[in-house]
Amino acid sequence: MDDTIYELKDVCFSYLGRFPALRDINMNIAKGQKITIIGANGSGKSTLLQMLDGLIFPDKGCIKAFGKELKEEIFRDDGFSRDFRQRLGFVFQNPDIQLFCPSVKEDLVFGPLQLGVEKKEIAKRLEEVLSILLIEHLLDRSPHQLSVGEKRKVAIASILMINPDVLIFDEPTAGLDPLTTRHIIDLLIQKNEAGKTIITSTHDLHIVEEISDIVYVFSQEKKIVGFGPPDKILNDAALLKTNNLVHIHSHRHKDKIHIHPHLHLDHHTEG
Amino acid sequence: MLKNHNFIERSIMGALSFFKESIFAEECASQKGFLQSLDPRIKAITFILFILQILFTKDIIVLLCIYAACLLLAKLSKIDLGFFLKRTWVFIPLFSLFIAVPAIFSIFTPGAALITWRVGGITIIITRQGLEAATLFVMRVITSVSFAVLLSITTKHFALLKVLRLFKIPQIFVMTLGMCYRYVYLFIEVIENTYLAIKSRVGIRMSPQRGRHIVASNIAGLWQRSYQLNKDVYKAMLSRGYSGEPLILDDFKTTLIDWLWLFAVLVVNATLLYLRYRTA
Repeated sequence: MDDTIYELKDVCFSYLGRFPALRDINMNIAKGQKITIIGANGSGKSTLLQMLDGLIFPDKGCIKAFGKELKEEIFRDDGFSRDFRQRLGFVFQNPDIQLFCPSVKEDLVFGPLQLGVEKKEIAKRLEEVLSILLIEHLLDRSPHQLSVGEKRKVAIASILMINPDVLIFDEPTAGLDPLTTRHIIDLLIQKNEAGKTIITSTHDLHIVEEISDIVYVFSQEKKIVGFGPPDKILNDAALLKTNNLVHIHSHRHKDKIHIHPHLHLDHHTEG
Repeated sequence: MLKNHNFIERSIMGALSFFKESIFAEECASQKGFLQSLDPRIKAITFILFILQILFTKDIIVLLCIYAACLLLAKLSKIDLGFFLKRTWVFIPLFSLFIAVPAIFSIFTPGAALITWRVGGITIIITRQGLEAATLFVMRVITSVSFAVLLSITTKHFALLKVLRLFKIPQIFVMTLGMCYRYVYLFIEVIENTYLAIKSRVGIRMSPQRGRHIVASNIAGLWQRSYQLNKDVYKAMLSRGYSGEPLILDDFKTTLIDWLWLFAVLVVNATLLYLRYRTA
């Protein structure tokens, strides 16, 4: 299939050879899709994303990206490595890891510079990215002077500067205020409409419907326990509850106390 | 152990706030003054020229003039002179006064007696040559330190690091220094928060043994964190195309003011050199 970007077959991974992080993962991702991976903390989401970005490699099974099997050796080929990094952008969960340069500007241009992008093109992309994310005023600051939301925006900007075909986001809205969350979701949707493939991991179910064509549910056993379109997955309360993605919650509507599995998705019509 | 205002608290908080204020605040570097507007490379070169001039000048009057110029530059750069003098004079007793004081006595610098004391049968003589040498030494230190401090407080630190490239220092070294600068602040925050978390849980009283245990385990914890961070940052670098040879953006821009300033400094330095040559 021409449009396939990723093919994962029976992928297993463990840390230090002892602590399983992924078990028998099978997955296909096509060009232009919006894929969301949901699961509780420690279910292997971040490990999978790092694997998709060619930072770690399976102990067992096979992962193919753009038709080639991802193995450590293949990244020793500078041509392949550069091409792969140019096509893929990974936004880490912790922006303090991603922003390792002493100034925002240096962080933004780090990727394109390493990938040999022309200086004129870098300047053009910089202007575009700054206006999209409204972070022009942060350019000369040091990352330690930024708020969490600003750091997240700069981290995303540093990836958009590479202009990759595939954007991978690890918990992009964790710890953000509602307005910044909205801004980031809008950006994801906009990038997808522009033809980019978007892969997101989250346990924030509010945002899943908007940013997904297909949702994968990961269990505490580090396995895929369900996948499908977002409406199917989000309506499967038993699946979500078993995997710690919803909780029983009580709250008050005027004088009535209301108890139900809490998804934060539905609006209650009764007063 | 964790009583208010105790030794450990004062040391930790004092050291951390010193780091934050002196290294990371960059308030002066963000002002819109004369030195802040200069290209960091030109500024660094001209300041090095001044410092070289200071090292070779033997005339106290010339040194006083250069020091006055330094204070004028600080004023033009919107630096509070009180703050600037405090910052520079802190170093003077440390680095020069204690070394210079013995030189004024005839034991170390023989010469014409200026003041003579007799204390318990011993004659102590302060010589003119000794006093002149000590004053010259102290003035040199004051002026050099003032220029060095002025350069560091009017330039953003990451720009200063990039100036190192002028001296053919490898990119990897400049980049590593930049990353150290970036992450030292992060770890300062971790230490502060850890200290506050301990204080909030154990209160203000604790046995010295338990206190030492907590401090030791936190040092180990911090080491672990830095090790993990090191691995994660490397992954983040790889993910953005790093392949062992980092490339750093050279975005310095010179303007007419930079060239005029460089020209003026060269003229002043050449004049001083000529005057020294004539009087020699």
